[in-house]
Amino acid sequence: MVYMKVAINYFDQIMKMSLALLRHILISFVVAMGALFPAYAQDNTEQLLLKVESLEKRLSELETTAVLSDPETRVKKVEVYVDDNGIEYPRETAGTKKIVTYQRERVYRRQTINEKIEEALDDAADKSVRVGVDAAIILQGVQQESGNKQKADRNVYQLASTDLFFTAGLAQYTMFFADIVALSGTQPDADINGITSINGYSARLINQNDLNLREAWLMTELFNQQLSLTLGHLDLTNYFDLNAAANDETSQFLSDALVNNPALGLSENGAGMALVYDPKSSFVFRVGYQQSNSQATNLSDSLFQLYEIGYKVNPFDTGEGNYRAWYRRDNTNGNLSAYGVSVDQKIISSITLFGRYGSAEAVTGPRDKYFSAGIQLSAGLGFNPEDTWGVGYSRSDLGSNDEENLLESYYNLRIADKLQLSFHLTYITEEVAGAEKVGYLVPGTRLQASF
Amino acid sequence: MKNVKLILNFLMMTLFMSMVTDAAIAGNVDKEIKIKNPESTVVIVNRDSNDISFMDIKTNEIIGSVFLGNNVNPHMAMMSPDGRWVVTGGTRSNKAYIIDVATLTLVKQIPVGFAPEHLAFSPDGRYYYQGSPDGDSVSVIDMASMKEIKRIRGFAEPLNITFTPDGTKAYVGNYGAHWVGVIDVTRHELLKKIHVGSAPGIASLDPERYLGEIKGISNVSISNDGRYLYAADGDLGIVSVIDSREDRVIKKIRVGSDPWRAYMSHDGRYAVVVNNGDETISIINLKKNEVVATLESGPEMMGVNFAAGKAFVISSTTGFLYVYDMEGLTASGRIKIGTNIQIETATTDTEEGKIYLASSTDHSVYIIDGETEKVTKISNVGLYPWGTHILGSKDNYCH
Repeated sequence: MVYMKVAINYFDQIMKMSLALLRHILISFVVAMGALFPAYAQDNTEQLLLKVESLEKRLSELETTAVLSDPETRVKKVEVYVDDNGIEYPRETAGTKKIVTYQRERVYRRQTINEKIEEALDDAADKSVRVGVDAAIILQGVQQESGNKQKADRNVYQLASTDLFFTAGLAQYTMFFADIVALSGTQPDADINGITSINGYSARLINQNDLNLREAWLMTELFNQQLSLTLGHLDLTNYFDLNAAANDETSQFLSDALVNNPALGLSENGAGMALVYDPKSSFVFRVGYQQSNSQATNLSDSLFQLYEIGYKVNPFDTGEGNYRAWYRRDNTNGNLSAYGVSVDQKIISSITLFGRYGSAEAVTGPRDKYFSAGIQLSAGLGFNPEDTWGVGYSRSDLGSNDEENLLESYYNLRIADKLQLSFHLTYITEEVAGAEKVGYLVPGTRLQASF
Repeated sequence: MKNVKLILNFLMMTLFMSMVTDAAIAGNVDKEIKIKNPESTVVIVNRDSNDISFMDIKTNEIIGSVFLGNNVNPHMAMMSPDGRWVVTGGTRSNKAYIIDVATLTLVKQIPVGFAPEHLAFSPDGRYYYQGSPDGDSVSVIDMASMKEIKRIRGFAEPLNITFTPDGTKAYVGNYGAHWVGVIDVTRHELLKKIHVGSAPGIASLDPERYLGEIKGISNVSISNDGRYLYAADGDLGIVSVIDSREDRVIKKIRVGSDPWRAYMSHDGRYAVVVNNGDETISIINLKKNEVVATLESGPEMMGVNFAAGKAFVISSTTGFLYVYDMEGLTASGRIKIGTNIQIETATTDTEEGKIYLASSTDHSVYIIDGETEKVTKISNVGLYPWGTHILGSKDNYCH
């Protein structure tokens, strides 16, 4: 068999040599023919010139766009098998065990200059701290519609909010995030003095007209990235009581009652932890705690504990729906509890219905109850197909017999990828027990820039 | 002048004789038959070792590989419908390569347009269309003569090419524009440009998005009956439905942000569109031509494969396959392929049971059992495997 292979190789070599010789003889013959018969050469000249021109063009493209120098060299993680004597094998063999090592490899990959530059820029960006800005200006006017004249009547309010985000990757699946927010200006809440905030931008923040640390946390993902652990200064409403259509004051409803369930009871951001188990299937589980009192002297003061289970479903192919139920305990005023649900369900691809219900134990008297529902439409009115609009209603019914009814509609116009302008119209009634009901109409605009 | 003519003659004949002798070498020397059943072979494109590997589907052993040359950097490979040839385009050599499958021999190198990438065979296997996105052209290679018989120009970054089942037309996705090119296959001519949609009027306020890097149409996906075509447009965030009989858009379906392309489920009921802008997938009911689910997914999605009643979405840089139940249209977990790896594209076997996923940075192919979701790693298949292909698979695609 070995002899046969040698013979075949020998024959192969002879064949190649013979053909090469034949090639040279034929070429010489053709060159001679070309000299003898110039008319034949003339016929092909034009075609060959075109060919030469095309080759020159290609060479030029190659020289201008490609890195022609060295083969690409890079370090790779490789798995090899090593026996007891330290001998390395590429595949598993008897008496070997798998180890991970690092090795340089060299490949013949021609990259364009653009690719090289892009790679270098991406690499630099990955290693740096990323900064983002979220800025908004909210202009609201208040027209009192009923009840005894209040301070808010015919007043105009303007609030500017700027969030600076810092994100940095620290290790494998571990990142640091900080959000510093500056609030400046006025908002109607102080004058209306309602049960919930009519401008969600200032919710759960203290030190207005000052710099605030909204969030600063470290997050790591464990167990095949199914479990995420976040620890630091948190806003637990970012993890609990989520809702696809009513959970974002920067692009959806402005009123806090249509952003979060008031029954959650969190009044300030603070030190905390959130644990999310998300196997990317139908169920999501969340557990967390957070302190909601900046005056607390230790972690046990004003500690909120939250538990949530989420379920995703797509009934009758109508579209996805998210169903969440949560439970909260806090020790701010004794040991009080609350529970709630948050639901969003698409009925067709562009229409989402949402609803929330929450019930919170009050310090004295019956429980506080909160309810909200509405609709979001993602089919725009023709300005930009990415526009969204919605209508939402919320009712707060406190154990103390105070009541609030709020109806808000908005149209969010997407001017550009980084700029949105929205128009809001809110009607709110406040009824404090034993006092006359007061109603306000609050038109407003929000200019939101994110970059 | 005479000297010039002599030189030109010399060049011409050298080229001619080179081809003659190469053919003689290929034809005259008996070659060992290495692949008898092309349909039971996984074709693996190794970008950085510049070769095409062939893996036996039963034993998961590499049967052999065909080296194409240094700095060729093949992008996509496809087997001819009769299983006789494998073709690929060398992105950095500006050539198309034809490999004889039985003997694993490189039989032909054909100069084509600039930076060839995606390609397709006509259903009868007669023509091989090789797209050159940087050259804005599609080269028509006649498999009988193994020559480029025409270079169709006038495209704008042509990516994937889709033939109609009867082979009369081919649709070309132009990533550098918002139109689909229709090629008349009998004449190999660009017949029509189907405009899939327009940017909204307000787009003038966002020049960065619409005048920056254009994200047009990467692929035109065809329904099982060949009647309708689905073209996802990245910038417009839509999937346009084209009636192939009339070559006109009959519906524009709004999906998520920056859709890459639509992947057709094997039963013909749904199309899964990966939206890389908002990291979601949109599932379109093909009977109603409506989005029936928008589900969370991962970043940089490169492909979707269907097996065992599920859709497996490849999230390239995270090393995850996101799994979706195609009956309930819900998420049903994700499979971790590896840490610090980049996974690319995959093909599904003809029994629709196993997925063969190329993983570039660890030079491996992962085999995923669709039913059990068990993962088997096949190491050292070549450097930087970029894609896989199985003859007759319904999930043969490239980036």
